[in-house]
Amino acid sequence: MERVLPSSAKQKRILWKPRPDWLEMLILLVPAVLLLSAFVILPTIEAFIMSFQREGLLGRNRVFAGLENFIEVFSRPENLQSAWQSIYFALIVAPLEIILAFAAALLISRPFVGVAIYRTLFFLTTAVPTGVAAIAWSWFLNPQTGWANWILASLGLEPKQWLLDTSTALPTLAVITAWAGVGFAAILLTAGLQQIPEDLYEASRIDGANGIQQFWSITIPLISPTLFLVTLLVFLRSLTAFGQIHLLTQGGPADSSMVWIYRIYQEAFFNFRQTYAAAQSVILFLVLLILALLQFRFIGRKVHYE
Amino acid sequence: MNKILARVLFYIGISLYAALLVLPLLTMLSVSFRSDGDVYNPSFFPPNPTLEPYQIALEKFPVLRFLGNSFLVSSLVTLGVMLISSCTGYALARINSPVSNFIFALVIGLLLVPGEVTFLPLYIMINRLGWIDSYLALTLPFIASPIGIFLMRQFFKSLPQELFDAARMDGAGHLRMLWHIAMPLATPALGALAALTFLGTWNMYLYPLVVTNSEELRTAQIALRFISSDEAVRYNIVAAAAVIILLPTLVAFLFAQRAFVRGIAMGSLKG
Repeated sequence: MERVLPSSAKQKRILWKPRPDWLEMLILLVPAVLLLSAFVILPTIEAFIMSFQREGLLGRNRVFAGLENFIEVFSRPENLQSAWQSIYFALIVAPLEIILAFAAALLISRPFVGVAIYRTLFFLTTAVPTGVAAIAWSWFLNPQTGWANWILASLGLEPKQWLLDTSTALPTLAVITAWAGVGFAAILLTAGLQQIPEDLYEASRIDGANGIQQFWSITIPLISPTLFLVTLLVFLRSLTAFGQIHLLTQGGPADSSMVWIYRIYQEAFFNFRQTYAAAQSVILFLVLLILALLQFRFIGRKVHYE
Repeated sequence: MNKILARVLFYIGISLYAALLVLPLLTMLSVSFRSDGDVYNPSFFPPNPTLEPYQIALEKFPVLRFLGNSFLVSSLVTLGVMLISSCTGYALARINSPVSNFIFALVIGLLLVPGEVTFLPLYIMINRLGWIDSYLALTLPFIASPIGIFLMRQFFKSLPQELFDAARMDGAGHLRMLWHIAMPLATPALGALAALTFLGTWNMYLYPLVVTNSEELRTAQIALRFISSDEAVRYNIVAAAAVIILLPTLVAFLFAQRAFVRGIAMGSLKG
């Protein structure tokens, strides 16, 4: 760039540069660095340190305890149960949310009269806070009078207790979570569908391909990277779902919806075992880290191909 | 003829699907207009529509205060994130130095740290600082956002160097270039970031739950939990409170859908 500047302009530039860059850089970077250190980096390090400590007795400082917390986490069967519940929960949420959202995204992928209205309706759950989403379902699921049982009855099926039964509470929460996430996933999948070049469809139409053939040989192969990425994201989000559980079941009945993140909350704030909960947090962190790294790698590769 | 039939079937199908997805919200709306006696009437429309549940919800609980809290906290965090992300993002994108390269690497690393892992030590720190039950605790930890910094850095990096060379010749420093050249061009990106941040902050649950004890500081989401356990039987009142609490984000979404959609797409697929 320097070479193309006329020499007079070059001189002027040098004359008019009274401050060195580093001063401005300092002004621009220091606030963020301080805040990130205090509220993200420090707590992360603290979580790791705490996980290797034991609670100090009678208000004394915490002391080093080696792997004690981790050994306890792995040796208690209730943690194994929570880990399984988290995975089970995410395994219901992810496919359900993706199927619902992909159907919505496909329906609005081509312009038609009124598409804007349907787009708004399909994306609407993004605007619904977790707490409201949970409340919205509770009338529906009322065992005595809710529509859910009324629909089951009209199909000739036994009524269910939904959130009040140990075998159905967690799957029911998963359905609510998937529903609440449809808008989010539909937005991402719609963005993915819009990136598929229109001329591919044009060309295949000239070659005589019908809609179903186009779907399987153009849409699916080209959307599958996005589909994979969104599935990963939804899985990550379901592993940290908390609000709807806190609002509807508080981990119950009989610990049947005590997913990992809820167990952490329970240990830290009800059993006051903060260092033990920190060990559980560190384990969650490592799992989420693996998923996030997978996502990073994948985004990197996708960008590379484009 | 066949084409018309296909069109009609398409509209019926898509409308049914849309209705199914919105149904839980509609039933909540319906219940919120019912008197106590009609709450568990299975009809879709309220048999005798009344505004009573709204009146009771607003009288019995400081719902507007909860909303005000959420609004204040989300707005402050959003403004802070926009400011910090622009400044930091600009410096990382436009000032070349080993320091900025190092900080950019750090920001990328921090993208991987989920809030669910840090909330416990953060709570302990806030407690030690005596910030429990303060707006400071609800806002300050979130105004430096790794994803915000990352997105703004990517945006500023994409601007052509010529713009900045010209300003340099006119004697502008980085702060002026940020304010007069980079920021005006960043309006769409900033709008998307604002929508993403506002929604994310409004949706926070676990952290505000643990750092607030008093009713005055409760955000709308957390308040719903307390309202629903207080009024476990009178579901119409819980529904009315939930509808009031849904309105602000719903209206914001309807009016700024583009910014929300862009924000979510940017924040997830490119982040």
